[in-house]
Amino acid sequence: MRKTNYVGRGLLLLVIAGVAGYGIGLGIDLLISNTLNFSGSVPSAFALLLAVTAFFFGLYGYRGITRGLTWQILGTVLGALFVTGVRALMGSSKIFGAFLFSEPAWVFGALVGVISFLFGVGVVDDWMKWARGIDTPEHHEDEPGWEKYFYVSLDHKVIGIQYTVTALVLIAVGGLFALIFRTELAASQLQFLTTTFRLFNQTGPQLYNTLMSLHGIIMIISILLGISGIMNYVVPMIVGAQDMAFPRLNAFAYWLAVPASVLMLMSLILGGFDTGWTGYPPLSSRAPLGMQMFFLGVFTAGWSSILGSLNVIATVVRMRAKGMIAMRLPIFVWASISTSIIALTATQLIGLSFQLVMFQRLFGMGFFDAAKGGNPVLFQHLFWFYSHPAVYVFVLPGLGVISELLPVFVRKPLFGYRWIAMSSLAIALVGFTVWAHHMFTSGMNEYLRVPFMYSTLLVAVPTGVKFFSWVATLWQGKIQTPTPMLFVLGAIIVFLLGGLTGPPNAAISLDLHLHDTYFIVGHFHDTIFGGFVFPFFAAVYYWYPKATGRRMSEFWGKVHFWMMTPSFLVLTLGMMRVGLLGMRRRIVDYDPALGLDFSHFVMTIAAFLIGLSVLIFFINFFRSLKHGEPATGNIWNSRSPEWQVPSPMPVHNYEVPFEVVGEPYDYGLPGSKYVEFASADKVSHSHS
Amino acid sequence: MTHTQEKSSMLGQGVFIFVYLAVLTGLEFFVAISFGSVPLLVVVALIKAAMVVYYYMHIYKLNLEQEGDEHSYEYKSGTNRLGLWLFLVSDSFVFGGLMVMRINLLGLTRPDLNQLLGLAVTSILLISSFFMNRGETLMHNGDRRGFLLNTAITFVLGLGFLLGVVLVEWRLAIHEGLTPDSGPAGAAFFMMTGMHAFHVFTGLILLAVIMANGRRGLYDEKNYPVEAAAVYWHFVDVVWIFFYPALYLIGTLA
Amino acid sequence: MRHFLIVGILVVVAAILTYVGLDSANLMPVAASAQAVPIDEMWNLELIFMSFFFALIVVPLAYSLIAFRRKKGDTSDAEHMEGNTKLEIAWTVLPLFIVIAFAYVGAVNLAETRRVDPDAIIVKVTGIQWSWKFEYPPYGVVSDELHLPVDKQVLLQMTSTDVIHSFWVPEFRVKQDLVPGRITELRITPTLEGDYKVRCAELCGTSHAFMEKPVVISSQGDFDEWMAEQVKLAEQAAATPGGRGQALVAANGCAACHSINGAQGIGPTWSGLFGHEVLLTDGTPVSADEAYIAESIKAPQAKIVAGFEGQLMPSYGFTDEQIADVVAYIKTLR
Repeated sequence: MRKTNYVGRGLLLLVIAGVAGYGIGLGIDLLISNTLNFSGSVPSAFALLLAVTAFFFGLYGYRGITRGLTWQILGTVLGALFVTGVRALMGSSKIFGAFLFSEPAWVFGALVGVISFLFGVGVVDDWMKWARGIDTPEHHEDEPGWEKYFYVSLDHKVIGIQYTVTALVLIAVGGLFALIFRTELAASQLQFLTTTFRLFNQTGPQLYNTLMSLHGIIMIISILLGISGIMNYVVPMIVGAQDMAFPRLNAFAYWLAVPASVLMLMSLILGGFDTGWTGYPPLSSRAPLGMQMFFLGVFTAGWSSILGSLNVIATVVRMRAKGMIAMRLPIFVWASISTSIIALTATQLIGLSFQLVMFQRLFGMGFFDAAKGGNPVLFQHLFWFYSHPAVYVFVLPGLGVISELLPVFVRKPLFGYRWIAMSSLAIALVGFTVWAHHMFTSGMNEYLRVPFMYSTLLVAVPTGVKFFSWVATLWQGKIQTPTPMLFVLGAIIVFLLGGLTGPPNAAISLDLHLHDTYFIVGHFHDTIFGGFVFPFFAAVYYWYPKATGRRMSEFWGKVHFWMMTPSFLVLTLGMMRVGLLGMRRRIVDYDPALGLDFSHFVMTIAAFLIGLSVLIFFINFFRSLKHGEPATGNIWNSRSPEWQVPSPMPVHNYEVPFEVVGEPYDYGLPGSKYVEFASADKVSHSHS
Repeated sequence: MTHTQEKSSMLGQGVFIFVYLAVLTGLEFFVAISFGSVPLLVVVALIKAAMVVYYYMHIYKLNLEQEGDEHSYEYKSGTNRLGLWLFLVSDSFVFGGLMVMRINLLGLTRPDLNQLLGLAVTSILLISSFFMNRGETLMHNGDRRGFLLNTAITFVLGLGFLLGVVLVEWRLAIHEGLTPDSGPAGAAFFMMTGMHAFHVFTGLILLAVIMANGRRGLYDEKNYPVEAAAVYWHFVDVVWIFFYPALYLIGTLA
Repeated sequence: MRHFLIVGILVVVAAILTYVGLDSANLMPVAASAQAVPIDEMWNLELIFMSFFFALIVVPLAYSLIAFRRKKGDTSDAEHMEGNTKLEIAWTVLPLFIVIAFAYVGAVNLAETRRVDPDAIIVKVTGIQWSWKFEYPPYGVVSDELHLPVDKQVLLQMTSTDVIHSFWVPEFRVKQDLVPGRITELRITPTLEGDYKVRCAELCGTSHAFMEKPVVISSQGDFDEWMAEQVKLAEQAAATPGGRGQALVAANGCAACHSINGAQGIGPTWSGLFGHEVLLTDGTPVSADEAYIAESIKAPQAKIVAGFEGQLMPSYGFTDEQIADVVAYIKTLR
């Protein structure tokens, strides 16, 4: 029987729909604006949306994502038409805007679009039934096969994989944007992002601002999705639960990510925005329409983060195996709790700060408008109150992965387990008190800066506890270095560089020089790669066999590591150096007189090597699904419960429940066990 | 099934707490229009909030069922209860952020609002919480009719609050020159009351759902959803316990 | 024990090598202000700490990878070491003291950079998308260049007319945002004569990368000479409408978008503009006469030239007289 080439079919429909959408958009734009905008935003918007939807349709038909995207497009258009109609009826003069619809119409339309997506993909169906008093089965069985990853599944393992793959897609998109502007930055003077270049209603420098801003936020969202992926996949397994506490909420939180990503792409096409992901007013209150799409996209993604972390906390508190007392929790669970405490609460503040700017734009509410008695610096306080703790959201799970994996590959207990557990909580809590260190030059009260210097330096203490404990864990161990361990070691070194370059920024006087330079860019790339990206790769290489029953290629894993790590060090050390010497952030071009051309050229090469290594990873990831070496048992010889059952993980995780009877990391203690599975005849209830 | 004694004591407690809340509200109104002490108003608001959180929202029920069959209705309701409270903690940060905005932009000044109207809508919301508590207690004790009646009253009062704010307060403010774009006072007033009104609106939807399902007899045995809707409703009341003094009582007119 | 000794020595060696390497790498631009001195001292202290802690972690880590590698065929676990409470307390409490001491040093260092000279020269700085305006109040001079005498403290009083900008000369080290609606201050005492550049250090829109102007530090004599010349030029310019217009244009940063030499920019060039025909976005041609140019300043969104859609020109609140002066100036441009 001939195998249907789903991907081929999808790509074919993508091209057809893309061209058709482009034509439709061009026509509609022509009717309204009387000009043919070939490189304009409206044709591109139609092309992109129809192409993406058609791709999924070709892949597997009108279900899941396809249905969601279709409803999102329809919902957006209907919502926009509704507002346009209302404005027309109210006698408003400008019922259309630069991009076909007016800004209020686009904003309302986009909001309706997001809600429509959620209904279309089917993730609110059960709740709607409950509201009408209809009961639904507690668990829904998924169909076998790969299609289930494109529909709503309530299985945390499926959702974890959905999160992870979506994160990888966003990493690719964000990385691509970076490679584009890194190419421009390789030499001083504008090479191709010039003032005469126009795309999506933006000149070269404007496009740079948009691509740079989107690089930031898309990578941030990919991090949030990536940590949700790891936490969703791993946490229920390692606490002995069948699933998360709220499976439908889990699916809902995942599916928010897709319309959020669509909105991010729309922000590129609908005129872009020039503020960086930080969106400071007054600049953001006068930025193009893309700004609103960005705000709404972050809002949507933020809700994903909030609801996901709610689920993690409830699961850990309520669904643990018998005997799993606090001090016998896997260290990754401590990390997950700490991260979730922050994500649950602080995220609301970025939503609020963006909401206030959105309303300032739509209704003239002058929160941050000095001319109206508003306060621009207030935005920064509200914004950074989330966005600083956010970076601990980014890194705490990764640091938890490091702590979780080290004992396995060193065959030694995690040194100072309790202190490491407490250090995650400490970082989370102290992290709430440091936000204004992003604002030392902002014009905030001068003396108020000093307490923030103290609190910022204080975070170094629990972070140091982790480093010292990791070194002590390695010391006198029996170390093996398969690919996951390589990425753990790389994470420690890279995160060390990031962490050590923190205190210079905390010192206010020195920060006056460093703020808004590439030194900061180098610092946070190191901390993010060390705290998230490297551990994320480690986690994928490590748990891939658990999910699939196969190993990823060791050889190509090592190639990935050895290509990525030195390149990354060159890139970030280079960034810090040029920053110290006077290179500001967020600039499309730099003065040749600074003498930094060669450094930038080298950094661009490094960036491309990093991109290549990630491409190698993607190929390894997808090829190994069919061609990876089979690995159905406890290939890492881990004490953790999920490795005591076969791979791929059974659908209901543990047919037979386990009880915790020892410490999680007692490697080297003869006869010790962490978990003990009940004997089969003791199983009294079935999993219904 | 619970005794009639416990039911009547819970109902009595509901009345007691309401009386306290009403007295405290009167007190804060009096303090505001006479000598206007900010610390005192803050303390009164905290006491009111604590009373609602403890007695009406019965926060002490959190994480109570630890042991036992994790597949039982009680255990799963306990998990859902934790989830709901986590959500409310998260939502509090939105309102906290709005308060920070108000304090930063307005400081010790306040918008020029109609005090009687403010006291009126506040009272309506407080009374609605009283009836919500009654309704929840009655359903918990198996009295479906009492539950439906009291919840319906809650709904009507809640709707009254919503219309009072959006149709009366807002229009009056705009008429007096306090508009969303007239300056920080207008921006703060409309955003805070608007976000709160949005939560009242969603609360009304939840009340409509539990009334509809209640009529079908879905909660005669398993009535956790009633508790959930009630706790959410009281949360919306707690927010107003802080927003009311913040917008109407604290500070001098600009 | 032997392991500890070797590692201990290697840590010290590595720390010293790292510090020496970083210190001699010339990572900072030349220090050209009195404020740069304490800041560079702080940086030096940081280098010492970064070098030490880098070595303290990386050396034992690398050593372990070599000395404690699992031997081939060995399937047993390592020694069961759970922790060492004394050590854990030590590496919590010691760093705690260190960071508090560090923060204290940082606070003292900050105070040093903020020393006030009551006789400081005052210069008013305005940031405008995408240019700088410097006003020297005692002289009544407005310029787009910052000229200062060496070894004298200047108090910059800064604000912005549109969005947040930030004043930064790397050689002076200190930086301060310009915020609309308030005045922020920055005190700098330049100590090295030379030509520098101030570049905006807070993303402020399309031409943020290019928002730079010269900063000239000279002897008191040269500074006075420059100032006298500026006063003279201002008087000359004030005499004619075109001269006044040119001064307004320089002061308000129009050149950030409009070139006078025909070069393509964010906005249409003024070279040869007056009296010629321009094509608007809807295709209609219009003559660039006085009325058109005046309208373009007063209500920039009224008529937009084809090819410049989406470029939002701000309005400047000029009086009609000022607009006439600017038009007069543009008329002179061929």
